[in-house]
Amino acid sequence: MIENVKEITVQELLGEVQKLHYDGYRLVTATCVDNNNDTLDIYYHFDMDYKLTNLKLTIPKGTAVPSISKIFFCALLVENEIKELFGVNIENLVVDFGGHLLLSDGAPDNPMLRQQITIVKKGEDKNA
Amino acid sequence: MPKTVIPFGPQHPVLPEPLHLKLVMEDEKVVEAVPAIGYVHRGLEKLTELKEFTQNVFVVERICGICSCMHAQAYCQGIETLMDIQVPDRARYLRVIWAELHRIHSHLLWLGLLADAFGFESLFMQAWRDREKIMDIMEETAGSRVIISVNTIGGTRRDISPELLTKTKVVIDDVKQDIQRLEPVFLNDYTVKHRLVGVGVLSEKDARRLGTVGPMARASGIVTDFRTTGYAAYGELEVEPIVMTDGDSYARTVVRIKEVYQSIDLIRQAIDKLPAGEIAAPFKGFPTGEVISRVEQPRGEVLYYLRANGTKNLERMRVRTPTFANIPALLKILPGSELANVPILILTIDPCISCTER
Repeated sequence: MIENVKEITVQELLGEVQKLHYDGYRLVTATCVDNNNDTLDIYYHFDMDYKLTNLKLTIPKGTAVPSISKIFFCALLVENEIKELFGVNIENLVVDFGGHLLLSDGAPDNPMLRQQITIVKKGEDKNA
Repeated sequence: MPKTVIPFGPQHPVLPEPLHLKLVMEDEKVVEAVPAIGYVHRGLEKLTELKEFTQNVFVVERICGICSCMHAQAYCQGIETLMDIQVPDRARYLRVIWAELHRIHSHLLWLGLLADAFGFESLFMQAWRDREKIMDIMEETAGSRVIISVNTIGGTRRDISPELLTKTKVVIDDVKQDIQRLEPVFLNDYTVKHRLVGVGVLSEKDARRLGTVGPMARASGIVTDFRTTGYAAYGELEVEPIVMTDGDSYARTVVRIKEVYQSIDLIRQAIDKLPAGEIAAPFKGFPTGEVISRVEQPRGEVLYYLRANGTKNLERMRVRTPTFANIPALLKILPGSELANVPILILTIDPCISCTER
């Protein structure tokens, strides 16, 4: 139901973002979603005259993604948040909080990722 | 000149909520500011995946007290789009009335805090005294003062009686007179102008580049106000963005004062046009699909991204609050400022840290 979604690859990301920056779009935010499998969706939402344009990146978990914060400085907070909460390896951030933007020492790693919980019945070998 | 690092916050007399800034200083001048947040992160986005989509209305209201009503409104609008629910006309107007009451109380709260920040205690108390009238009318119409819990999926949970609507009009007229008395002090007083005029200038170009929203963007000359897109009943009311061009702390104050008058006018319009009828539409089933819902909060545009899979739980709910969008602008206006002006500059973005961290 989201209009104006363009699916892109990691390699195309910076070029597409640069183009939108050149055209005068405002970066609204980015959204990361765990697809409940081995992939994540990252949406980059841009606004022009109240209309959203969305870039959609679908990546396997653990994939490195270049930061767009050198094009849109205002991406630094949301990219740090995605890195911290979803464990996405976002490279070349203008300010890297090192996983401590929102979370403190001792907090669970990547708490927004869906956790795989295996229930082992009593007496069963959990490694079987 | 040697540089020193001064930690500002997280506990500071001027901050109602915890925000930490590492200020790199050369003598009395700020040369760099690095924010550190995370003191009130509650993981509410994660919680919404665990609660039922109907229960999430109460969760999102608790993202922030000051704009709780609009958080719920944005969330409900998103779910209503996903489930194709037609909100009754009366509910759309009621949402405007309560949202604008919230905007008035938020702006009056901010004006009081600003006065407190530049040491004008009596002005601070008068702004908050006037705000009490709005809080009281919210309690009378909604049952509580801050988290008023009026929005529900499909409409509103409460109606406002004709007697209370009349009383609301009397109260907002009263508040309008109060603001007219305070306005000259905020805008013409020598010492107040000295603290605000030319302080923390954000150009239109920078405001656009940094993704600034709300009064912060409008004070820098950007014509933006999501209410003009016509969500709820705004499309049937007269609303124009209030824009200034100077981009300084004074312009941000002017914008917010004028927006109080604008909200009073919108409430009056909404009450006059309030149609009769139901206040909520029934619905069945569960939401499916993805949607983005946006609403203009007192601090600016809030964005909700929702992904639902046809079950009672959402797969994902993401909130981008206005303060989250305005922090980069704060980092832009701090360098070059005097240390004594830092509290004013932080306040002029009207920071809501509870919103920012969720």
